[in-house]
Amino acid sequence: MISDITLGQFFPGKSAIHRLDPRTKIILATLFIVAVFVASNPVSFLLLFVSTVILIAVSKISFKVILKSIKPIVFIIVFTAILNIFMTKGEGEPLLSFWILNIYTEGIARAVMMALRVLILIVGTSILLTYTTSPISLTDGLESLLSPLKAINLPVHTFAMMMSIALRFIPTLVEETEKIMNAQKSRGADFTSGSLAQRAKALIPLLVPLFVSSFKRAEELATAMECRCYRGDKNRTKLVKLEYKGLDFAFMLIFVILLVALICLITIPYNYQSFGIIYDVLFFRV
Amino acid sequence: MNEILRIENLSYVYGKGTPFEKVALDNVSVSFEKGKITGLIGHTGSGKSTLVNLLNGLNKPTSGKVYLEGKDIWENPKEISKIRFRVGLVMQYPEYQLFDETVRADIGFGPRNLGLSDEEIEERVLEAARFAGVSDELLEKSPFELSGGQKRRVAIAGIIAMRPDVLVLDEPAAGLDPRGRREILGSLRDYADRMNASVILVSHSMEDMAHYCDNVVVMNSAKLYRTGTVKEIFSEADALISVGLDVPMISRVAQELKKRGINLSGELYTVEGVKDAILEYLKEGKR
Repeated sequence: MISDITLGQFFPGKSAIHRLDPRTKIILATLFIVAVFVASNPVSFLLLFVSTVILIAVSKISFKVILKSIKPIVFIIVFTAILNIFMTKGEGEPLLSFWILNIYTEGIARAVMMALRVLILIVGTSILLTYTTSPISLTDGLESLLSPLKAINLPVHTFAMMMSIALRFIPTLVEETEKIMNAQKSRGADFTSGSLAQRAKALIPLLVPLFVSSFKRAEELATAMECRCYRGDKNRTKLVKLEYKGLDFAFMLIFVILLVALICLITIPYNYQSFGIIYDVLFFRV
Repeated sequence: MNEILRIENLSYVYGKGTPFEKVALDNVSVSFEKGKITGLIGHTGSGKSTLVNLLNGLNKPTSGKVYLEGKDIWENPKEISKIRFRVGLVMQYPEYQLFDETVRADIGFGPRNLGLSDEEIEERVLEAARFAGVSDELLEKSPFELSGGQKRRVAIAGIIAMRPDVLVLDEPAAGLDPRGRREILGSLRDYADRMNASVILVSHSMEDMAHYCDNVVVMNSAKLYRTGTVKEIFSEADALISVGLDVPMISRVAQELKKRGINLSGELYTVEGVKDAILEYLKEGKR
């Protein structure tokens, strides 16, 4: 059912990560993404993997939830892993070979690392941002981080407001879509069978009412905001003032150290052939 | 018996197997008759809308069966859309479903999906428009130019145009002025009589129930609470009040009179009925 779709689900909590300033979390997520792409050899990935596990533990998000978030990307991970296994050419003898396909140790190492990279990327950023930060504070943080851009006349506040409104109305829109779909199904509309062209045409009775009501809702919302004297960020005060605390600095320090450590680690030359021994043992080729 | 739709031990659970699991309908059995209007009442969250969505196969029951003329509607899940032509469902605030360029085309959407010929569609559109009180000059207009009450009528006509054997309406009069209310609800009797159809009316208004329905089904916290004729249901005022519902205003008057020692008898749920009962009482007093 449509309502099962979860977009960046927020899990309220009181863990250290929940308590971080949203700006800190955005900065940390950026550092984390850089770190993930910097990592390029097994040791650096091991470090990243361990830090992600620690991150999960600190956030107190249940393991089940994390598994669920991985589910939609399993296909991509498996697909890239398979491609990497077969397409990577290594030095030395292939580990296994049949027909025109050769598997090298480098290929396996690469596949594992690429899979880990995507996995760590998704899990890490979800923990830092979507799972532990409410959409409202996320946009608050974004607005505050981007506020220097106001100097060049970019409407930062407006963008942030648009974003939070968009996020706010996703569930409403989903509910509405379901309602209209049911109404049209009650009139014999068929959304699930027929050729592609027929299906596209079947969407008209769904899209027209959806657009009409969205425009109407936007207008009503604008009126309601004006009734409460909304004038953009002019003279607007905030209920929750963002403030960096000790915890924020501590986390930032840890992440910077992590990044520096990673950069040091990738300079260590690495010989994949040494891995080959493990596979030789595994495949009884000793 | 003249029954057309019957549900047996129907249950529905939302989000089964998740932490958000919620039983919305719990083992409900009830049947609906041809040519009769059945009211479905219950306070918010009592499972009315859930039940209504099960009647035409929009949702599949977690357990239990829905029988249309003795046949299980889920016997062949691929044919479920055919059931929806026979059990017409007018959802809450149905005016949001209008989409076509003209009122005529919009009312004709259901019949077109039925695959009827153009003449047949035209005939049904006109017939449905008459039933729902959509005047001829509106047929060429865009549904988006109409007033709220007119839109509602067009939406109802869109369902009636499929000539369903069972017509289910979820709060068809919500948000309408008293006149629109009377017109829409009044046309239901017309439909039930002329098509020998079963009409199921979900409403919060006890007055509407008393006025337009033959039978009443009362729901309370996902369960069937009471079922019977209007007279039977409204004579048990205390039972209704205890589940957060009410009786028609005029039944309260009768109740208050009873407390003061004036025992009326008859149809004590419409103004007419109570008036007759009072006159009867006065006549007997004179004798």
